[in-house]
Amino acid sequence: MLKLLKNLIKEPMFVIGSFLFLTTILAGLLGPSLYSAAPDGMSYESPSATYLLGTDNLGQDYVALLLRGLQNSLFVGFMAGIIATTIGTMVGLFAGFKGGLLDDILNMFTNLFIVIPSFVVLVLVSASWPEGRSLTLIAFLIGFTTWPWTARSVRAQAASLRGRDHISLARINGASNLQIIFKHILPYLASYVFMVFIMQVASGILSESAISMIGLGPIGEGATSLGVILNTAKNNSAITYGYWWGIFPAAIVITIIVFALYLLNNSMEGVFNPRLRK
Amino acid sequence: MNFSKTVVFSVFTLSLALLISCGDEKKGESRSTGYPRSETLYLAGSQWGDPNTFNPLIEPWLVAWPANDRFNLMYEPLTAYNSLTGVTEPILGTLISYDTEKVVVDIQPEAKWSDGVSVTSTDVKFIYELGKRFPQATVAYVGEFVSEIKVDTVDNVERVSFMVNKEGRNNPLAILDQLQAIRIVPAHIFEKHLAENNNNFDEVKKIKCDKDPVVSGPYTLAHYNNERIVLQRRDDYWGNKVLHEGKLPVPRFIIHPIYKNNDHFAINLQKGALDASMNFIPRIQEKRKDGVSTWYDAPPYFVPGSMHFLYLNNTKAPLNDRNFRRAMAAAIDYAAINRLALSNYMGEIKPGLIMPDGLEKKYYNAEEVAKHSVPLGDREYAKNLLEKSGYKSVFDNNGNLRHSIGPNGDTLPTLLIRAPAGWSDWEAIVNLVVRQLRAVGIDVREGFVDGSQYWPSLPSGNFDMIMRKPPVAVTASLPWNRFNAVMSSRNWRPVGDGNFMNENEGRYNNPNAPGYNKRVDDLLDLIPLITDEEELKAAYAELNNIFLEDQPVIPVCHLPEEYYQFSTKVWTGWPTEKNPFAPPQLPWVGSGINTLWRLQPAK
Repeated sequence: MLKLLKNLIKEPMFVIGSFLFLTTILAGLLGPSLYSAAPDGMSYESPSATYLLGTDNLGQDYVALLLRGLQNSLFVGFMAGIIATTIGTMVGLFAGFKGGLLDDILNMFTNLFIVIPSFVVLVLVSASWPEGRSLTLIAFLIGFTTWPWTARSVRAQAASLRGRDHISLARINGASNLQIIFKHILPYLASYVFMVFIMQVASGILSESAISMIGLGPIGEGATSLGVILNTAKNNSAITYGYWWGIFPAAIVITIIVFALYLLNNSMEGVFNPRLRK
Repeated sequence: MNFSKTVVFSVFTLSLALLISCGDEKKGESRSTGYPRSETLYLAGSQWGDPNTFNPLIEPWLVAWPANDRFNLMYEPLTAYNSLTGVTEPILGTLISYDTEKVVVDIQPEAKWSDGVSVTSTDVKFIYELGKRFPQATVAYVGEFVSEIKVDTVDNVERVSFMVNKEGRNNPLAILDQLQAIRIVPAHIFEKHLAENNNNFDEVKKIKCDKDPVVSGPYTLAHYNNERIVLQRRDDYWGNKVLHEGKLPVPRFIIHPIYKNNDHFAINLQKGALDASMNFIPRIQEKRKDGVSTWYDAPPYFVPGSMHFLYLNNTKAPLNDRNFRRAMAAAIDYAAINRLALSNYMGEIKPGLIMPDGLEKKYYNAEEVAKHSVPLGDREYAKNLLEKSGYKSVFDNNGNLRHSIGPNGDTLPTLLIRAPAGWSDWEAIVNLVVRQLRAVGIDVREGFVDGSQYWPSLPSGNFDMIMRKPPVAVTASLPWNRFNAVMSSRNWRPVGDGNFMNENEGRYNNPNAPGYNKRVDDLLDLIPLITDEEELKAAYAELNNIFLEDQPVIPVCHLPEEYYQFSTKVWTGWPTEKNPFAPPQLPWVGSGINTLWRLQPAK
């Protein structure tokens, strides 16, 4: 484990990625409580000493909004990532290890979900929830629609492990299926599942921004997210009128998080995957 | 691998280039369509979808501009109401007298259809009495107001008397409004259509009337497609001589470009590709450097003419509690709404249903209003009133409202404020109202819904609270029609079971309930029949006091009837505060149309 970490730290991609990611996490976690927002001003005031990043259409301080939005976007991303990875890994593990009828059924479901464009499902379900969509609901919706690819790749890996000697040994020793799956298969896939998780977080953040951008994101008190900020700016024609501070900071923050996550994922792949190892 | 990447990349760039060039073509089109910019007036805001038919007998929401609604360019009404002076100005007819028995109009003897046939009382009777022949006609409603049309000839001029329907609505004020709202169509043409179709009205409605339509107005349809509707000046328009001292309207063409998006208005107005528009553009003062002007040079920029309301479902607890409604009216910070949501377009808001400025000023009684209204924007007052009425609110440690408890000790439901999603000005208002009401402990939330959900929920009463601008035009019958739209329980129906109400959608003043205030409906019936000014003032004050005490709805802002904004890049001579020869309307409705004869090409 320590060796792995040493190898990772040698990777400049990993260092940059984790630095960016930790910074955003810290900003998201601590920012909203540490930063004291300036009192409401006029709508779309341009950046100044009072409002470092200007104000939105309701005169609210953009820095405060961005920090809260970042926190919420991270929350949705992580929650969606955890849900999608858990479902995907479980389905993949059982399908791959058990094989047979269960595999066929789970595979059918997985393929069904892959064929149905998940974004369309996301849009339809969000739209049918017109009142009181919370951040948690959005996270669940994203989590439940993005798991199939994880399931597929985990299934392939689990299936390839099924015939290994140590699995047969465990079986002879009388280990139950669950024991085998969690003790002897999952550890082999852990690094892979972790990388998948990172990608799921990134795609969760992006999906949330996308549906919020078209006005189907979370609503309610404090339900600001980076996507909601973009949506408000769009609805108030910030682009048309040249209020760049309504669009760019939020867009840049989204880009930074997702970029950091991709860097992490890429650098980890270089270390975890023996074929890519230098 | 590299090859396929190249292919994908080039396909992508090609399609992008194609897309961009298409966009360019659209922009450049106006230059190449043969309508010289210096002779063409571009107006927009009344046509959103593809134009399908120009038949003036169809439901107004299906007809394309300018055959729909209340535009005077092709089909003209008898008179036009000047919202600035309150004068009923002549068009096809001249208003002679108006009392509780009848409304009398003389038909212009020189008025002619574009095929040379004179406009006569036959045309007037055709449209006014269409509802008697075909009850499904959209003008059928006039039967409730006009019992009979009598025609005499005085000095060779046809004199038409619209007799007030005493058994029906008994409302001469509404007949006065209808003089402007109902456009006269050529009877000889439509009788011919009806005869050809065996008197089948639904068949006649299928006729598009888009090829050489017979009209009486100064412009006629020249061309239309999904991007624009083009009108051409009729140089032989009868009114040039009779109404405009022999002058021609200045623009040879009027083009209504069809935009799909609100942003296009602001962009094109700034570029000078659009000469005037009537929709909400935020922060209009920032566009001044690009030649975009408004009626006033300083806030509120526009002339207030209509009220936007927060309708409350008066049948649902806790909104059925008068004190709860009054507390809400007091808690809302109207100045913040004006500053943040409306770019300072509204003057100071005063409580009640009578506007404190313009033509309604004479009915506004500041003393009475102060006596009966809650103080606006007073949070402490709202909190005290809630507490006195037995409401309690539970806040968390951060000061956010958790929930509130009613006088009976039950937790109150979260009330949702409906508004159409994407209407940015209303969304901002609702956002602010939610924040302000929650601050005093009233549990409300935003409920933005698609337009397809918003519109049906209004007449059915299926809402807690809803943003609403009643269809009250600036006409002779203000402020009566505003009171009627908000308070009338003549057609009161309970919520649900497909019961529709097109006024008082919040179901205020249930006539079958013990607390029914009959005086409201009596006053609404009485006011149109009062001719004495002092008596009228007293009646309005009484009705307004009842409104203030009961607060069935909450007026959230006073806004212009239309956001009259214009560009001086191509045309100058627009009416403004300093040069008020026409009311602040686009030159296509009411007496705003007079602007067409006064415009000058910019140098």
